[in-house]
Parts: sequence; structure tokens; C-alpha cells
Amino acid sequence: MKIVVLVKQVFDKDSNINVSGDGVLTNREDLTLSTNESDAYALEEALQIKEKNGGEVIVVSVGNDSVLTVIKDGLAKGADRGLHVKIDNEESLDALDLAKLIHASIKDENIDMVLSGLQSDDKGNGQTGILLAELMNLSHASLVMGTEIQDDNSIRVKRELEGGWFQWTDLSLPTSLTIQSGINKPRYSSLRGIMMMKKKPIDVKSAEDLGFTALQKSKVMKMYIPEKTKETVYIEGSVNEIVDQLMDKFANEIKIF
Amino acid sequence: MAEHVVHSTPTLFYVLAFVAMGYLLYNLRRLFTVQIGKAEERPLDFFGQLYNSLSFGVGQRKVYSKRFTYASIMHFLMGWGFIELLFATTVDFFTARGWFATYLPTMDTPWFAFLNDTGGIMLIAGVVMALFRRHLNIPEKLPQSNFKGRGNLFGDTGILLFLLILGVGGFLAEAARLAVERPETAQYSYIGYAISHLLSFDTWVIMKPNLWWSHAIASLLFISVLPMTKMFHALAVIINVALTNRKLRGHLRPMNVTALMEDPNMDPDEISLGVGKSSDFTWKQLLDSVACTECSRCSTVCPASSTGKLLSPMKIITDIRADLYQNTLGFGEESDLVGGRISAEELWACTTCGACMEECPVLIDHVPAITDMRRHLVLSEGMPPEQASESLEATMQNGNPWGFQKADRLKWATDVDLDLPILADKKEVDVLYWVGCAGTYDPRNQGVAQSVVKILQSAEVNFAVLGKEETCTGDSARRLGEEYLFETLAQENIATLNSYKFNTVITACPHCFNTISNEYPDFGGNYNVVHHSEFIQQLLDDGKLNPEKSLDGNVTYHDACYLGRHNDIYDAPRNVLDSVLTEESNYIELEQSKSSSFCCGAGGGNMWHEDNKGDRINVTRMEQIIDSKADKVATACSFCMIMLDDAMKVKGKEDEMVIQDIAEIIAERL
Repeated sequence: MKIVVLVKQVFDKDSNINVSGDGVLTNREDLTLSTNESDAYALEEALQIKEKNGGEVIVVSVGNDSVLTVIKDGLAKGADRGLHVKIDNEESLDALDLAKLIHASIKDENIDMVLSGLQSDDKGNGQTGILLAELMNLSHASLVMGTEIQDDNSIRVKRELEGGWFQWTDLSLPTSLTIQSGINKPRYSSLRGIMMMKKKPIDVKSAEDLGFTALQKSKVMKMYIPEKTKETVYIEGSVNEIVDQLMDKFANEIKIF
Repeated sequence: MAEHVVHSTPTLFYVLAFVAMGYLLYNLRRLFTVQIGKAEERPLDFFGQLYNSLSFGVGQRKVYSKRFTYASIMHFLMGWGFIELLFATTVDFFTARGWFATYLPTMDTPWFAFLNDTGGIMLIAGVVMALFRRHLNIPEKLPQSNFKGRGNLFGDTGILLFLLILGVGGFLAEAARLAVERPETAQYSYIGYAISHLLSFDTWVIMKPNLWWSHAIASLLFISVLPMTKMFHALAVIINVALTNRKLRGHLRPMNVTALMEDPNMDPDEISLGVGKSSDFTWKQLLDSVACTECSRCSTVCPASSTGKLLSPMKIITDIRADLYQNTLGFGEESDLVGGRISAEELWACTTCGACMEECPVLIDHVPAITDMRRHLVLSEGMPPEQASESLEATMQNGNPWGFQKADRLKWATDVDLDLPILADKKEVDVLYWVGCAGTYDPRNQGVAQSVVKILQSAEVNFAVLGKEETCTGDSARRLGEEYLFETLAQENIATLNSYKFNTVITACPHCFNTISNEYPDFGGNYNVVHHSEFIQQLLDDGKLNPEKSLDGNVTYHDACYLGRHNDIYDAPRNVLDSVLTEESNYIELEQSKSSSFCCGAGGGNMWHEDNKGDRINVTRMEQIIDSKADKVATACSFCMIMLDDAMKVKGKEDEMVIQDIAEIIAERL
């Protein structure tokens, strides 16, 4: 089983982001970078599949040199090799460009599976893994909460549906799965793992190497912190009048019906 | 001096004695098994070692414990009685043949005769007390028989009966000799002399050789099999305490991970990180296990054992010995040490409070052994406790185990409009206030930090804080076995501290205090670190603070392990409290206080994960406080504050009780 795991480096979930009036991050140096949460679960799932079925796990991350941290963390936890797709303006790529870039970087690998987190904690597009499946002609499933390899050609996955329901579905391999947080318990990096990581290879491919130039299809127009507002309305009158007014507000203002 | 008579000790006895000695020496090979252990840097000095062996070995200084009074007296009687008789026997071994006769007393030399009978009666009295304790009246928790590794020939009661036979047999043999030989000084052997009157001369004459031989054979048998019985501790302990450097008690050895990582010859597949098998320990740690007497005091006082957790410190030590003997002498069953004989659950239950080491009469270092095995679990296996792994990752990412943002390091002050001097701006300052992660981020401890600042400002101390430059000291990480993370944090903090000038570091957190003052020196950070209790006491002594004496009611103080047992600071916090007590107030000393204080449950990284077995340690401590009738509880530790505050709420006492740090108590009276 050759498994590619897509890992993204994002600002720590609890970061207090400060944005200036013109939409520029003002406290970048105070922010902690970490592995995107659901990507950590995708990595763990890949490692467990490898441990059970044998094979190889390749960690892929797109971005500047800072993403080497998340690649190395993946290697320390047990992945076999890393692939750094080097690009300085990762933030301005749209999901399709990102998928194309990744596709170009791994198309020569004879892969069985691509695992990625359901969505990133920063942009939250949730598209990369699915678009990649399309580009590479792979089967795909999103919101995956469980995996069972059936044989060399098929995998059964458990998908999360709405309202607490789950769906089991069989997919042919190769496949691309986007993994929901909570599917497993990501492991802790041991010092032994960190020592071994130093001997594992990390390939570097730049966007130019892969034949991409001047990738920039999206641009951040404005960034701002959502304003929190609070309004208290007193509804007065008889019981019937209050109920009528409440129903009206539910239906037309809060729109819960 | 009585004339030396070559009495009738037959040559056969000497032959048997040498055979017995030979078997004893063969059995002593147990002591040499520790050679499989690693070398360790352990500066020894001759006089220190001699002092240790006389004071803690022969003198049995730490056998005395106010928590085990009966057992202490019992052991003194047996131990000193036994040592005296060993001395007597050794002398007699020579004088019986007239060897060194000019220099040595004989059995009939009055003082020697008196001494020997006293030794005998002490031994018998001690043995009777022990039999009474074991079978008739059990005054305290008895040692659980846990004889892993060395076996327990004759059993717990059997060896006592053996000692009794030796004692009584000695007196009978002596009585027979006195009755038959009638030396002039017979009455100095006051017990034997009294017994000699019980039977007729003729009977004694007939019995004398039988009594003598049976006593001789019993004694030789005893000596030859000693290392196979519980009594082996008598020898092993003397050697262990003699080789103990008490300055290194509880010291966690640095692993120098950074250097290890840079070593090109290091093979990550082969290297042992932490202790997974007995040969990963140092020889001294192995000798500790060989010396364990299995008195079980450690397990009796252990907060984890006594609240029903799986951990028993004594079992940890005897398991290490079992593993050692299995690997060297082939005794017992083959098994892994960590994950086999000792489970991860046992290791994680330890709060590193040090109660076991405090109580151990033979100076065993339990906590470093447990930490070394935790290192194996974390560094080698990547298996910290599940909940704790989150706080370790948070510490790695954000520099604090709570996982709050580094950028918010000063929020506790800015939120209450405190404009604090920052060391990066001042560069040079008299006092650096190390706030610690709890003071920074934990809401309850933020009040303590604010109080410390009020005190410093009120006493006009020239101080500053590090602000964003401060990160976790790594105390929890280190005790959770994450030496790599600890080393990284230590190096980072030392680099920061070394870039500024200050005279003193003060902190309200005993964990930060212990780490910076006792552990950073191993990594090149040497500072004058003062805990806030001592600092405040000094300010009070110098008249720089004049708090109102208005603390009344039933007041008590809970000793933090890392302030008390680990750093011997017991008086300062009490003196600080004393400065504000009213005449009418009632200060209550808890039953388990000072060096026998009961842990709050948070030490050893246990702040960050929960062992759900049995009772909660903090709730048990709170129950002890409630029983004492105290309603105002003072602490001087950030973790104790969190744990006791939580336990108070669990017990539904938040309307009747107040828990405050000594800094808060002083600050609100300024």
C-alpha cells in the first residue's frame, strides 16, 4: 500500500489573530504554526493502514520552508519519506491550482491512496483531496470516519452523514479520502522517531520544476475580525401577542423555520 | 582481666565455620550483579561514605520515623542487639582459640559479659515485638510480602523464629557454660547466670555439649544462608548507604539529548532511551534495589498507593531486583521490565512527591528510577499518558502546558491594568519575577501573581518580568519522561536568562523554583533562586512590609512537596502566615505536615492527566484538612492551589472554606 498524506501547516487554532484596517496580519510573529488538525488524523490513519498492511507513507506539504516542520513531524511519527512542494505564495493559490500542483508532484508515484484532512483550519475549502481525485482519476470519499482495507483493489470506508448517521461504502483503489477529525488517536512523536526522521529523505520540488509559473488565481481582498454584536429585545403584551411576535421573529429575522 | 583459657571449641567447628563462610560468600554474588548497570558520575568522598555507613547503616538513623514508632523501636532492639551479638561472636571466634588474646576481652570479662547479655535480650525483645506485631496486634499497615527476586527463605515469620532460636539458644549455651565452668564473673552475664540456676549442675553437664553444638550449627546455618533470606538487607544496606551521595537524592540525570542527536555514530535503532530493562539503570540504582528491605514504608506513605492506585513504590524496586537477578543469576521467570513486570499504569500513577524517599530507611531513590522508566515509555515508545500528550504537545507548540497563546503572557497583568516592567526593556534589574505558566494563565493563580506584584511594589523592590520571553521551565515535561522537550525548554530559558543581569529570581511556583534552582545548573544555568515564601519572609524581617495582623479563625498550611520535601522549606511560609495571625486565631498543624505532608496529586506531571482508579488524591487531602477543622487553608504552590480549590468544590465546601496563597494573604493586608 503506497499512501500519500497531504499535510498543511496552519496557524494554531486558538491564535488571536490581529488584522489591521487594510487586511494585513499584524502579529504574524506572535502566532504559532502547527499541523492542520484533521491532517494529523489523516496521517495517523495512513500509519495505521501501513502498520496493518505494509507499504509506504509519503508526507506531502505545499508552501515555503516553514512547512518542513510539519513534514518532519510526519516523518518522526513514522512516515517513510517527505515531499516538499516549494512555493512562496501558497496562501494565494486556489484549491484547484493547489490540487494541480500536488497532482504534478505525485503523478509519477504509483500510489494506492491519498489521505488528507477534511478541510484546513484556515481557509476551510475542503476541496483539495476531492479535486485531486478528479485530476488523478481516483475514487473518493469525504468525511471519512473509518477505513477497512478489503483486498488489493478495494477499501470499505465509514462516512459521517448528517444527524448522527453513518454510511459504509466500498470504493475501488486507488482512492482519495478526506478524513474527519476524531477517526483515531494521533500518536506522540517519540525521541527515537525524531532521531530516525533525520535519516529519512525529503524531496523538494518547486512549482517551476513542476511546470507551473505565475500561479495566482485568488487574492485576499479584505481580512477582518467578525464583529460580535448583541441585541436584547423586550417583547411585551398578552401571551398570545408575545407568541405571535416571537413566531414572526423566528420565521423572518432569525430564520429558523 | 580474666585469664584467657583456650576453651574446648573443637576444630570441627572451625572447619564447619569456613564451609559456612564459603557458602555465604557464594551467596554474596548477588551484590556483584549490579555490574551490569551503567556507570554514573557519582562523586564519593571517604569520610562522607564512612559517615553514611555508620549513621544510616549501623546507626539505623532513618529507621526511626515518627510515623512508624513501634516498628522503629522494634527494629532498633533487633538491629543493635544483632550487631552486638555479631561483634561478640566475632571476638569469641578468635579468643576461644586464644588468638589475639592480649587485645581482646573474653566472654567472662565483666563489661563484655554484661554487653553480650544485653545484646541478646535486645534481640529477643525485638523479635517478640515483631512476632506480636505480625500475628497478634497489627498496629500499622504491615509489609506486604513481595519478595520478588531474592526469595524469602524461611518466610517472614520463619526468620523471626530463627532469630529467636539463636537468641534463646545462645542464652542456654551460655547458662550451661556458666553452670559448669563457674567463672568468678558469672553474674555479669546476668541472663545466662539467672538461667543457670534453673537446672541442677548434673543436668547442665549432660546438656552442655548438645546446647553448644546446636547453637553453633544454628548460627553457622544462619550465616551461610543469610543472603537468601530477608536478613540479607543487613549486609546490602550497609554497602548501599555507604555508596550513597545524599546530595544527589532525587536527582534526575540529564540525558544530553542535544549532544546525542548530533553524534554521527548514534544509531536510533540501537540506542536505549530511558530505562526499559534492568541493565539500562546505573549500578547504584540497581544496588538500591538489592538493598531494599521490603519494610513497605514507601508504599504505606505513597499518596497513589494509599488512594487505591496501582502503584506501589516497593513493588517497583523489588521488580527491578527481580529483573536484575533474572538477567544475571537466572532466578525466576523471564519477562520484560517495563511493560512486563512493571506496567505503564503503575509508572504514571506516581506524583513524584518524594514521600517514599523521605520515609525509606535505606536511602533508596524511587522517584528517579520511576522517571527513568517513564523516559523509556515516552522517548522510546512515544507513549505518554493520553491526556498528558496534549499538554506536552501544547508545551512544545506554545511554551505552556495549557496551550494558551505565547502572545498572551502578560494578559494577567494588563487585564487588571498592571503596567509591569519588562526585563527586555530594563536589561538590568535587582529581582526577576518568574511568573510561571500557572500564574500567567490559570485564573485562580493569576490572583496570586497579582498579589506578588502588589507585594513587590509595596516593598519598593526593583523588579521586572520576562513577559513573552518566559516559557515553561519544563518541570512537568521532565517528570513525564519527556527529557527532550525539557532539555529544549531549559536551553531556551537559560539562553534568555543569561542575556540579562539580575541578582535574584523569585517565583511563587515551587515547581519552577525547583527546576531553575536545582536542575538548570546541570545545563549551565546558575542563578540565585528564591521562593516567594522566603522572599516575603525576608521583606517582613527587614521591615519593608507591614501587613495588618488580621488573619483569624482556624488556619492551616498545606506543605507543597516541591517546596518541603524536595527543598526543605518548611518554616518560611509558616513564618509569613504567623506575621498576620491575630491573637485569637487558631493555627492548626495538619497531622500529615512538613516532611510527611500528603501530596495534592498534581506533581510529576499528574496535573495533566487523571488516574481514575480509587480515590482522587486531592480530595483525600481535602478530607484530611476538613477533619482537622481548619477553614482557612494557606498554600505556597500553584499546583496545590488548583488541586485543593477543585477538591474543596468537590466536597461542597466553597462557602465554608477559603484557600489562599500566602502572597494573597499578605497582599490583601497591606
